[in-house]
Amino acid sequence: MMTARRKFVLIAATITFLITIVVLVSNTKFLRATGTDDCFACHEDKSLTADRNGKKISLYIDPALYKKSTHGDMDCKDCHEGYKPEEMPHNPNKKKIDCKSCHDNVKPLENSVHKNKECYSCHNPHTQKPIKELKANNTSLCLDCHKNKNVKDFTTSIHYKKNIGCDGCHKGGHEVQKINKGDIQNVCGKCHGSNQKDFNNSIHHTVLSKGNQNAPNCVSCHGSHKINNSKMTIESEACLKCHLDEKLFPGDEKGSAKFVAHYKTSIHSSIQKDGKPAAGCVDCHGDHTIEKLTDPKESTVKARMINTCGKCHADEVSKFNNSNHGKAFNSGNKEAPSCFDCHGEHDIKSVLQSDEFSKINQADICLKCHSNNKVTQGKDNHTEDYKSSFHYLALKDGNTAAATCSNCHGAHDMKSAGDPTSNINKKNVDKTCGQSGCHTKELSEYTGSVHEVSLMTKENSDAPNCVGCHGNHQIKSTDSLGNAEGSRQRGIIKLCSSCHASVKIINNNNLKNVAGTYLESFHGLAVRGGSTQAADCGSCHGNHNIRTSSDTLSSINKRNLGKTCGKCHPGASEVFINSRIHTLITDEDNPMLLWISRIYILLIIATIGGMTLHNILDYRRKMKDKKAGKES
Amino acid sequence: MTSEGKYLRMTKNERIQHFLLLSSFITLVITGFALKFPEAFWVKWSIFIIGKNAFEVRGVVHRIAAVVMVAGSIYHLIYVIFTKRGRKLVKDLWFYRTDITDLRDSLMYIIGKRNERPYFDRFSYIEKAEYWAVVWGTVVMGGTGMMLWFENYFLPIINVSGMNIATAVHWYEAILASLAILVWHFYFIFLNPDVSPMNKAWYTGFLTRHQMEHEHPRELAKIEEEMLERTTESSEKTE
Repeated sequence: MMTARRKFVLIAATITFLITIVVLVSNTKFLRATGTDDCFACHEDKSLTADRNGKKISLYIDPALYKKSTHGDMDCKDCHEGYKPEEMPHNPNKKKIDCKSCHDNVKPLENSVHKNKECYSCHNPHTQKPIKELKANNTSLCLDCHKNKNVKDFTTSIHYKKNIGCDGCHKGGHEVQKINKGDIQNVCGKCHGSNQKDFNNSIHHTVLSKGNQNAPNCVSCHGSHKINNSKMTIESEACLKCHLDEKLFPGDEKGSAKFVAHYKTSIHSSIQKDGKPAAGCVDCHGDHTIEKLTDPKESTVKARMINTCGKCHADEVSKFNNSNHGKAFNSGNKEAPSCFDCHGEHDIKSVLQSDEFSKINQADICLKCHSNNKVTQGKDNHTEDYKSSFHYLALKDGNTAAATCSNCHGAHDMKSAGDPTSNINKKNVDKTCGQSGCHTKELSEYTGSVHEVSLMTKENSDAPNCVGCHGNHQIKSTDSLGNAEGSRQRGIIKLCSSCHASVKIINNNNLKNVAGTYLESFHGLAVRGGSTQAADCGSCHGNHNIRTSSDTLSSINKRNLGKTCGKCHPGASEVFINSRIHTLITDEDNPMLLWISRIYILLIIATIGGMTLHNILDYRRKMKDKKAGKES
Repeated sequence: MTSEGKYLRMTKNERIQHFLLLSSFITLVITGFALKFPEAFWVKWSIFIIGKNAFEVRGVVHRIAAVVMVAGSIYHLIYVIFTKRGRKLVKDLWFYRTDITDLRDSLMYIIGKRNERPYFDRFSYIEKAEYWAVVWGTVVMGGTGMMLWFENYFLPIINVSGMNIATAVHWYEAILASLAILVWHFYFIFLNPDVSPMNKAWYTGFLTRHQMEHEHPRELAKIEEEMLERTTESSEKTE
């Protein structure tokens, strides 16, 4: 029989047992929960490592991160099924963790390059974040494994900076793919559609689609992962990689590697602008749109050249468009030059440095067209004469100040003489010759001369400018003036006579026949006879500064006549002041001279006539007598 | 009459004077017209031969010839004043009434209205005209030539118009003198049938009897008369 006390003990013990059971049961759950803690007991040690296939790997798991991760409220054993914490290693059967037991609806990896990879290669289960976050950071995830330099440099790329990750090109998630060479332009084209379209029309694409392995696609030029701002990546090196290869581009024709190689010596290549060559391949040839050189759409074909060069050289091109060359060119004249006809192509040089554009050689560039009337259709017969000119000979002798073609004609703005804005227009020639560094002194003398005033103020004046007397292309030194005539004086007289003895010019301009009167004067006769001392036109009239006698600055003004004549006739200078110099014997303003002449002429005719008659008769009579004498 | 039929026309002195005159005259003609016609072929040739300084050479030669001629003329002046033969020369060359009748007769003769030639003395009207023309020409050419030569001295004196006149006169006188020598003098010493092909007196000094008979019959007569007188005198003396 149980006592009450014993009953109480029994009940208490039962309750205690039950509580214990309950606690134990409940503790089992707790135990399971605290199993993770058990794991962390070791795995929160940062120095915990293990050898796996000879490699030291960290076994550290950050408990805080784990708690935050999507798996944070799961038990280690939920994934590490069958692990035995008390055994080392925990997983002696090497049973793989099967994510698919939970994640049974994930996209398969079969189509991806990662199909042989484990989920946790990318998805760290202990720190697994929500998939959205994962997507946002996919690049760094990829780079955890893809550590080769090329890929790593992706972080410096423009794509990366613009928050485009690996998935932008390689697709993301479980579909990550390698990009086939043939697909590259399509991949890039997803974003760079217009560029792809341009590329698809380019010669590069044409060749590529014919199966030429050497043909470039996007990455050939732009690079792949390290892709950067186009200008930064597409330097000429990208093009020259292929275009300097003589195996790919043999020969020395246009388009050959040798032809392209000249670029390296060009001004475009050798001077720098913002740390890059002044002009790279694409600046002229275009980039994605690049066409065959012969394609009319190509930016360097003759017809489009001026626009292409004008991108940088706008001033020059606008001058060119106003020039004769430009007008002819723009009106479709096939002979008219475009930029490269003068400047060359890949080997283009600075005109200041170029040997071809040096003053001495420049003529050869112009003469390519302007000789033998090749393009000028007979309008200009003198261009070749330049090579015999004083200008050219002086250049040859090393006088770098002497004029070459562009000094007179201008370069891009060269215009025909008929154009009033042309350097070589009749009214502008003096300023052209007298430009700074050239014949400034002569210009100042010429300015105000009767020739200059007449030329500038009268329309259709016959008055000469510089070239009127000196000639143009074949211009000779004044020392050689008259070489062909025997003396300098005769040369000058012939020169002045070409106008001042021309009836047409004399009549048109109300001039006096000064050449005729001069030639019959002693001065004229002496010069005609070869004297090198007698006065020629210039001795009295000056040369550049010829003025009318009424002009007080004129050397033949009354005021100055004494001095002018006195140069040769010292002491006699005063008598010239009231004298007319250009007179003929028959001039009526010297009546005494006129009458003496008349009397003399009469005398000569009478005397000599009488004598002749007398002697003819005398001869006849004497012969008759002689004959008669013989007969008798 | 000399036994060889030679009649003294010019002494050695006169022949030298004549030679100086003829050589300087011809030189002056050539070098003078070379100035006026610089493009003539013969001028061009001579320029080509002489070379670069041909014009200056021409001027110098012209002036040398002028000096020779003027010097010769001055000598001649002295000669005709201070020598007996010179004074006789001028006397014989002077114009007389007979010259007018001679001219008339001569003209009648050459046009066939008279059968006989005038009876010319030592100098016919032809030669007298010749001589005085040379005197006149030398004075004119010498005077104007000096003005042109020393133009810087004369310019203030005669002015530019005076210079132009001097130039014109020098030119017309040159034509006149040259043509006169050519037409008048050269005819009578070369073409003239009496002396053709040439009157050699200018270097032999003598005329032939034939020439004397035709050209200077009165002089011949005078000489013969004189000689006759002399022979008579001498024969009288010898007798």
